[in-house]
Amino acid sequence: MKQRLAQLGDWIDNRTGVRALRRHLLDEPIPGGTGWWFTTGSVVLFLLGVQLASGVLLTFYYVPSPASAYDSVRHLMDHVAFGGVTRGLHYFGASFIVIASVIHMLRVVAFGSYKRPREVTWISGVLLLLVILAFALTGYLLPWDQKAYWATTVTINVARAGPLGEYVAGVLRGGDTLGALTLLRWYSAHVFLLPAALVTLVAAHLGLMRRHGISGPLRTSSEPAKPFYPYHALKDTLVVAAVFALLLALAVTIPAPLEALADPTDASYVPRPEWYFLSLFQMLKYFPGPLEPVATMVIPGLVVGGLLALPFLDRRPDRHPFKRPLVIASFAIVGAGISMLTYLGMKDSPQVSEEWSPLAIAGMEFARDERCVRCHRPGGIANILDETRMRKEPAWTLGHVRDPEMITIGLRPVPAGGMSDAQAQAILSFMREVRSGSAPTVTSGERSASIVLGRYCASCHMIDGAGASSAPDLSNVGARHDLAWLRRWVANPESVDPLASMPPFGDVLTPQEMDAVTNYLAGRR
Amino acid sequence: MVGTDNEHGRRRFLSRIITAVQVAIGGTLGVIFGGAAVGPALAGRNGAWLPASPIGDLPMDIPTPVVVGIPRRDGYTQVVEQRTVFLVRTGASDVRALDSTCTHLGCRVSWDSEYQELRCPCHGGVYDKTGAVKAGPPPAPLATLATRVDSGRVLVRL
Repeated sequence: MKQRLAQLGDWIDNRTGVRALRRHLLDEPIPGGTGWWFTTGSVVLFLLGVQLASGVLLTFYYVPSPASAYDSVRHLMDHVAFGGVTRGLHYFGASFIVIASVIHMLRVVAFGSYKRPREVTWISGVLLLLVILAFALTGYLLPWDQKAYWATTVTINVARAGPLGEYVAGVLRGGDTLGALTLLRWYSAHVFLLPAALVTLVAAHLGLMRRHGISGPLRTSSEPAKPFYPYHALKDTLVVAAVFALLLALAVTIPAPLEALADPTDASYVPRPEWYFLSLFQMLKYFPGPLEPVATMVIPGLVVGGLLALPFLDRRPDRHPFKRPLVIASFAIVGAGISMLTYLGMKDSPQVSEEWSPLAIAGMEFARDERCVRCHRPGGIANILDETRMRKEPAWTLGHVRDPEMITIGLRPVPAGGMSDAQAQAILSFMREVRSGSAPTVTSGERSASIVLGRYCASCHMIDGAGASSAPDLSNVGARHDLAWLRRWVANPESVDPLASMPPFGDVLTPQEMDAVTNYLAGRR
Repeated sequence: MVGTDNEHGRRRFLSRIITAVQVAIGGTLGVIFGGAAVGPALAGRNGAWLPASPIGDLPMDIPTPVVVGIPRRDGYTQVVEQRTVFLVRTGASDVRALDSTCTHLGCRVSWDSEYQELRCPCHGGVYDKTGAVKAGPPPAPLATLATRVDSGRVLVRL
C-alpha cells in the first residue's frame, strides 16, 4: 500500500513538479537572527484569507438589492448556523487587517526594508494598503443600514470635491441618487474588482519578496541562515494563532453591528464612519468651504504620494532607524496627527444610546391597540409588529397606521377614529427601534410620560431625534426649566407667557399623567 | 543580409498588425464596458412638479420639513424616493422651498426651532431660514427649489 502511494506521489510529481514547488516555497533561506517582527506579513496574509473565506460564505446568503440586503443580513445573523460568527469574523477582520497592515508597514519602515532593491516590493505593499481601505469603504454600504447609507453618502460627496467631481460622483452612484445601482456596483467592486486587484498585488508582493529575499535583522547575525520551514514558520504560526484567537473571541462575544434600516429621510441620524476613517472625517471639519479639497484630496494625496516615493527619497543604504531621523520623524508626525484626529473624532461622536426614545416606547403601547393586533398577531394575516420590517417608505407606514385598510396613501380622507399623526409617528419610531434591539424595561412613570409625549407632544416637539420640529426640542428641557415651571407651562402656557401659542393641557391630562410627564421632562437634563 | 532585412521587416509588419488588432479589440471593449459602467451617470433626470403640502398647513416664516415622494427608476425597479424639503411660507401664497441636503457632504439638515437655524449633524454646518450659510464648512447655501401653489397645494420642482 505504502509503495502504491509512493508510486502515485511520483506519478503526480512527474506530471506537475509539485515537490519542487513545495521545496521552493518552504526551503527559502531566512537570515540568522530574523525575529518575531518578521511575522507581521504572515498575519496580514492570514487575515486576508479569513476575509476571503468569510466573504464567500456571506455571499451565500446576501442579496445585493435595497429591498432585500438588510433583511438578508439580518436573516444570516438570526437564523443561519454560525451566521453571526461568520459576519463577526468578516466585520472585525476588516479592523484587524487595517491594524495588521499598518503594523507591517511600520515594521518595514523601522527596519528600512523598503530600500534598494526592494522599492517595487514596497510600492506593491502601499497599493495593497489602498486596496484594503477600498475594501473597507465598499463593504460599508452592503448591509444597507443607516450607517451604510449615510457614510456612503458622505464618501460620495467627498469625491465631488475633486476634478470632474460631479461626474465621478455620478459614476460611483450609478446615477443621480444613491440607490439600487449604487449598491450593485459597490457590491461588484467588493466581490469582483477589488479581490482581483488584491490577489494580483499579493502575488506580486510575495513574488518580489521571494525574488529579493527578506531584509532580515538590522545587523548581520553570526547565526547561519535557516530554511523557512519549520524554523520561521513556527513563529508565524504562533503569532497567527494568537491573532486568530483574539479575532474569534471578538466575533463570538460581540455581535457585528447592524443598525436600523437605511432611511434617507431621517434627519436625526448622525453618521460616523468606522474608526479607521474617523481621522479623515474629522479633518473635514477644519477645512470649510473652498478649502475642503485640502482635506479630501491634498493631504491624503501627499501622504499616499510620500509613501510611494519613500524608497526614492531615502536612498542611502543605512537601515538603522537612528540613522534615518527624518523618515522616522515624518512617520511619527503623521501617525500622531492621525491618532489625534481619530481621538477628536471619537470624542465628538455622539454616544449611541441603547435606550429607546420615549416616542418609541409610546409607539409600543399604541401598537397594542385592537386596530393593530387584529391583523398583526400570532397566526393573524400579518406578521406581529416585532417581526415586521418596514418594506414601504415611512410615508406609507404613517398612512397605513392612520387608516389600516388603505392600500394607497392619500386616496381618501382618514376616517374618524383613526390614529392621530403623533400616534402614527410614535408607532413608526417603535418599528424603527424594534428591529435594532429588544424593548427596554421602563418604570410605570416613564411609560405614562412616554404615552403623553407620543399622544400630544410629538406632533410639535422633537425628543431624542423623533417627532416634529415646529416647537422647541424637549430632549434636554430639564436643563432649562425646573419642575414647577414645567407644571405651570404644560397646564396653561399663557399663564407663563401671554404670547404662547401652545394649547393648555391642564384639563386634558389626568393628574397622574401631568405628574408623570412633568417629572419626566424635569429629569431630562 | 537582404533576406534578414526582409525577415525583420516582415516581423515588424506582423507585430504592428497584432498591436493594431489588439488595440481595436481593447478599444471596442473599452467603449462597450466603459459606456455600460458610466452610462447611468450620464443620463440626466428631468424635474417634475410634485405635491408637497397644503399651503394652509404651513406656519408663517418657519421652515417646516415635508417629505416629498419622487417617482423614479432605480436601476431595474421603479421606486418612490423620499426627499425631505423645508417649506417656508413667506406670504399668503408665497412659499420658499429649501432642499434638506447639506451642501458640504450631503447629510440631512434639521430645523432647530430654539436657535431658529438649520443644522447639519455631520460637520456642524449651520444655515439660517433662508438657506444662507451661518457657520461651519458648507461651501454654498442650501439649494432653493422652484415652487408654485396650485389649488391650495404647494408643488415643488424636483
